[in-house]
Amino acid sequence: MQDFFELAVGAAASGCVYGLIGLAYLLVLRPTGIINFAVGEWAMLGAFGGFVLLTKYDWPYALGVALALAFMFLVGWATERVVVRPLAEKGAPLLAPILALLGMVVVYRESISAIFPPDPMPVPYALGMGRLELGPVGGTYQSFFTIGVTLVVFVATWLFFERTVAGKAFEAVALHRRAAALMGINLSRVMALSFGAGAVVAGLGGLLVAPNTSAHYLMGVPLAIQGFTALVIGGVGRVAGPLLGGLLLALAEQLTVRYAPIPSGYAQGMPLVLLMVFLLLRPTGLLRARS
Amino acid sequence: MIKGATAFIVLAGAAFFMGDYHNDVYRKLLLWITLALGYNFLFGICGQVAFSHFAFYGIGAYSIVIFLFQLHLPFPLAVLCGIALCVLFALAVAIPSTRLEGFYLALATLALGQLFIVVLNEGGAVTGGTGGIANYRLPEIFGLRLRGAWYTGVIALLVVATYAVLVRLDRSWFGRACRAVRDNPEAAAAMGVNVARTKVIAFTLTSALAGVAGMVYAFVDNTVNPPIFGIDNAFLLLFMVIVGGAGRHAGAVIGATLLFLLPFWLSPLVGHHQALVFGVLVVLAILLQPAGLVGLYDRLVKR
Amino acid sequence: MKLVAMLAAALLASAAQAQDTIRIGVITDRVGVSKPYAEPATEGIVFGANELNKKGGVLGRRIELLIEDDQSKPDVSAALARKLIDQGAVFILSVSLSPATQQQQTVTMEAKTPQMTPMNSADYLTTQLDNPYFWQTGPLGSVQIATLLAHAKTRNLKRVALITDNSELGQAIAKAFRAGLEKSGIQIVDDEVVANGSTTATPQMQKIRGANPEALFVAGVVTATNVLIFKSYRELGLKFPIHASYNLSVPIYMTAAKGLVDGITFVDAYDPDKPEVKAFEAAYRKETGREPANLHGYGYDGIMLVAAAIKSAGSADKEKIRAAMQSISYSGVMGAKGMKYAFPAGKRAGFDPNGMVVRVYEGDRQGRVVYVGQK
Repeated sequence: MQDFFELAVGAAASGCVYGLIGLAYLLVLRPTGIINFAVGEWAMLGAFGGFVLLTKYDWPYALGVALALAFMFLVGWATERVVVRPLAEKGAPLLAPILALLGMVVVYRESISAIFPPDPMPVPYALGMGRLELGPVGGTYQSFFTIGVTLVVFVATWLFFERTVAGKAFEAVALHRRAAALMGINLSRVMALSFGAGAVVAGLGGLLVAPNTSAHYLMGVPLAIQGFTALVIGGVGRVAGPLLGGLLLALAEQLTVRYAPIPSGYAQGMPLVLLMVFLLLRPTGLLRARS
Repeated sequence: MIKGATAFIVLAGAAFFMGDYHNDVYRKLLLWITLALGYNFLFGICGQVAFSHFAFYGIGAYSIVIFLFQLHLPFPLAVLCGIALCVLFALAVAIPSTRLEGFYLALATLALGQLFIVVLNEGGAVTGGTGGIANYRLPEIFGLRLRGAWYTGVIALLVVATYAVLVRLDRSWFGRACRAVRDNPEAAAAMGVNVARTKVIAFTLTSALAGVAGMVYAFVDNTVNPPIFGIDNAFLLLFMVIVGGAGRHAGAVIGATLLFLLPFWLSPLVGHHQALVFGVLVVLAILLQPAGLVGLYDRLVKR
Repeated sequence: MKLVAMLAAALLASAAQAQDTIRIGVITDRVGVSKPYAEPATEGIVFGANELNKKGGVLGRRIELLIEDDQSKPDVSAALARKLIDQGAVFILSVSLSPATQQQQTVTMEAKTPQMTPMNSADYLTTQLDNPYFWQTGPLGSVQIATLLAHAKTRNLKRVALITDNSELGQAIAKAFRAGLEKSGIQIVDDEVVANGSTTATPQMQKIRGANPEALFVAGVVTATNVLIFKSYRELGLKFPIHASYNLSVPIYMTAAKGLVDGITFVDAYDPDKPEVKAFEAAYRKETGREPANLHGYGYDGIMLVAAAIKSAGSADKEKIRAAMQSISYSGVMGAKGMKYAFPAGKRAGFDPNGMVVRVYEGDRQGRVVYVGQK
């Protein structure tokens, strides 16, 4: 039982990272309908940004993260303009930008592979390597930091969508593009912003997980799959969906390894089975959208 | 019929004029074309985005090796069992998947593809685990020892037969039903097409074809191991069909040929960076010509 | 008649060219999962070939390296092996993934072309196929565990835990470790796998903690995953000693795992005090301006072994080279002091079982040698 409490904080932190990636998918998916597999690579780019600014050039943490995230916004915005916008303007079917973004997965990964050596690169912890014990549960500073930052991001996103005019515009575009256009909402700006925001959120996820997993050029695809699983489990209808899904996924993953009486080699199949089960039985996820 | 025979003779005959290395590349190219043709039918004509094609390739390859060399079944029985296994798995995946739309199907089949690799790696003595199985050779079939260029002939036969079957299907009512389901499932249902059944048949058929191709592959290098059937190849297959032109058989052939041979040509030119160039080319292809190279050709010809 | 003349001219030209250089094929991985190992090994091969050519080559002929990239894809690998053979390579060095090396073997066996991997450590490479043209001079998983155990014997271990990753090589090394541990009568109380791409190894480490082992053997070969294991180890405050595979000898741990590796013993084929090593490092530094790592040494020894075999054979004939390599005895950069590569009694794994050393991390640095060989 003590093991469970010990796992709890760490699993929650992992779940938060999955949730952030899931949110990155959601931010793009909602207004455009595009499933952007490149979010995993965006997380990787964020992690490498952290390596360059924080490890190599030794900037103070907050400053380095801010600059890395600003860079991610540019990356997201540029991706939308160069790869997605031309297809939207041509009236290409929805599948086209999804496939183009799959191609971008290769481009991002190989660009990093060409610039950096193939070994894992260290990214520093936000608050150092200490531990915090709160009664029966305890976790590393990094875990608590990750949970805290993720909660802030999700609350901010929720507030944006629910309480601001701009956020409502996003919703409108998500619900009905043509009507939104008729109402004067600038569709292309919404799209560009959603890609930029998605990249920032994904990059943040990468920065938060990399101190543990190191930054390396192959880290994108597993994160993309985990993030998508989180989204499917939690549901695309509500902002809280990916976070819930991520937490459930991380708990399921780690509790299976810890407690299930199967060899741990098979335990890694757990998230895949979970994904398939949800896709088949409840593709809309656990949280229903508000109508 | 005559066109088919001619094509077969040309494709198989070419093998005898090539050295070992080119023969090897050629064989693998023909296998990729076979896979691309099947995938094109599933994705381009029936509109199902699936990443499980390569898993079935792998199921076919592993099953024939296991049936022949671990269970020691006679050759014809091993082949039939292998096909049966693919059909069973395909049905098990296809029937529940009929409820999944578009990209959800893609994700489920992607998860399936990855699970397949996990099972292969954990399979211990049965699948050879992470090292795979080697140390076997194609047994004599009807007293014939098929080696080298003669085996390439077998693969040529596979390509031509696959092409013939798929074109025939495409032109039949089934092909029309598939396209109807791809373009507008509700309208198709209204016209009396059994949407679920069409999808299941298309998925099962193309997956079984992939399995047969896998069985042929098992004897190309006489090795099967997990990295060969990884998900990277599933993405590559999708790219091949897109770049060539989804929905057109010629597109599958062109796309497979181009994308398979591209790394070989690029490697001496750009060294390390060939994967990057490859990714950029794929993105450009989608941006500039979503109808694929076949679409480009059509446009030029119509001028 | 003209055709015959042309053919004759072409034959003469290629024969003349064959007289000038000895072609050695190298199959490496520049873009895939083996890149962290394959890249430095290839650099070592290139450095070695340059060194040889500066001294006049082998048998008076220049060494020409034909380097191909198999992207860690085994079926591409096999095709490239054929390409190299068609281009006249008399020897192929394989430094990519183990299954890729395996798949190349089906080709080299058929084409009767000598092939060697100076790096792969999977035991099955010399056992699955009976290929007399293939040798393996990388440090076998079975040798690694035997050496680690010999060192750990002083601790009188009875119950240990084993952990690895889910990569192909990680599983192969774990299998060798398991066999070695069982042979020594040591009980494995827990056996865990961490999937590559995981965000944590804590659940697995908790299970290990629950089994209360006296030591932990780490068979994994993916650096990022091993770092996760060490992080959980520290987080959970575990104290039992860690004995690790040769992956820990990769220098990146000194930067990627700061504060995590102190006290870990690992098996290595590199003794920094060996005079050959010092000479190699100095020469490499002078030539390229960079520090070599032990991975470069594997490649360097590989090309040197090939050169030695060709010299001993007295010609570039593949059969003579095969016979020469099988009976070779060569002392290289890798391995403990005084170790020689040899393939006695028709064996094809040439790394002396007593040739590995056990080193220990002191702080963040790879420290001294604490044990040599298996005795």
